[in-house]
Amino acid sequence: MGDNETVICRCEEITLKEIKETIERYQCSAREVKLRTRAGMGPCGGRTCRCMIDRLVEQLGGPSISNEISLSYRPPVRPVSFGVLGGDVK
Amino acid sequence: MIDLVIIGAGPAGLGAAISAAENGLEVYILDEFVKPGGRLLGQLHEEPDGKWVNGIAEAEKLYKRAIQLGVNIRCGVSVYDLMKLDQGWCVYTTDNVMECKCLLLATGASETPIPIPGWTLPGVMSIGAAQVMGNVHRVKPGKKGIIIGVNVLSAAIARELQLCGVHIESILLPQPNLLSGDAANPEKMMESLLRLSHLAPSALIRFGGKWVSPKLGARLYPKNGFKMWDIPIQLRKSALEILGEKQVEGVRVAEITANGEVVSGTEKVVSVDFVCIAGGLAPLSELAAVAGCSFRFVPELGGHVPLHNEYMQTNLTGLYVAGNITGVESAKVARAQGTAAGLSIARELNALADHADEKIEAAIMEVMETRKNALIQFQPGIEEARKKLYSEFYETSEKASMI
Repeated sequence: MGDNETVICRCEEITLKEIKETIERYQCSAREVKLRTRAGMGPCGGRTCRCMIDRLVEQLGGPSISNEISLSYRPPVRPVSFGVLGGDVK
Repeated sequence: MIDLVIIGAGPAGLGAAISAAENGLEVYILDEFVKPGGRLLGQLHEEPDGKWVNGIAEAEKLYKRAIQLGVNIRCGVSVYDLMKLDQGWCVYTTDNVMECKCLLLATGASETPIPIPGWTLPGVMSIGAAQVMGNVHRVKPGKKGIIIGVNVLSAAIARELQLCGVHIESILLPQPNLLSGDAANPEKMMESLLRLSHLAPSALIRFGGKWVSPKLGARLYPKNGFKMWDIPIQLRKSALEILGEKQVEGVRVAEITANGEVVSGTEKVVSVDFVCIAGGLAPLSELAAVAGCSFRFVPELGGHVPLHNEYMQTNLTGLYVAGNITGVESAKVARAQGTAAGLSIARELNALADHADEKIEAAIMEVMETRKNALIQFQPGIEEARKKLYSEFYETSEKASMI
């Protein structure tokens, strides 16, 4: 198995190759990588891959990691059922 | 309305609960895991004076003290959102919705992955997962394993796995690529290993730690590594790929130069039934982000941390932080930070009786003392980085008050 076939975003099964090609082709930010490839948009909300996406963008000449969090966190930050979201309490 | 809700029942959260409850506050702690104690639960190591530190016993002590003081501890509950109220905070949990005057985030840190070809195979796990399996659940992660990533955490947990009766074939570096960065560089890893040298049981390494320069050390590093507790640490070998049909069967490894380049013709396959990836730790700050905190990127502290001061206040009223969410350090530092946070919160709620300021200043001094005496420095330059962070906190809050 080549390096390029390594999965980066496990939820959406996005490989290193797909992310690299996207950054190289569009010279884009981490957020744009996410919107174009769906990396970081799976059920875990990017908990595992966000730092790798940031790092790849930085390594390939994109904006470097700054004080700003590039892939914003949005609630719910943990997987919850519709019941819980709808106010169903135990 | 509850006085204080704390998210995270690790050393920081329990420490804060104790100091807040000692001053009469009504305190709730929530934790995602089934048991209180946080990362303390995984710890088991021998200090240089020969005394064993058992994190499970430490956690039990803190838990008992908190319960004695009337702290409500709820485990197996996740927090998925936070909202600022006019007076206080609203906490959305998988059980119910809680309102409190003050909120403390003591969520700790999460592990940073290093992707390696084959890392999605069953049998590959983070080093922390192996630690929880062995020390908390008493389940062996496998019979024979390789740890990829040489750092403070991987060496300590390798030893714990060995105590569990698991054979660790070796600890080696990840393959050099776009994502592995310094973790694949023998010189940089030598530097990190030397920060551990005073803990090593081998007098040779302890002695070496005093005079070996990272550069020289990486160049002269023996091809087969040297051993800590009989576990080979191989700074000149790299894991290229994890192999297996349905689960881990082996790792393809190769020798590397002092600069981290693969030496051709040296590849071979080592058979193992599990692999741990040790990519280091980063502050777990997602709740601070949804709350709306300002952030700073501080590599010495492990990544993005919420802007805060030595009183553990964030830039949002009533929201505090303590422990590894403020930067990756030892459990002792986390606990001392928790104590300081609990006292600051008691002061904000006018519950801190006589000599309030003195008590808080003493708690802050204790944090600095504990940091100075820490056995393990996760990164160099923590103290300086913290000083800078605190001064930025006051600069920005001054600016905000002028507007």
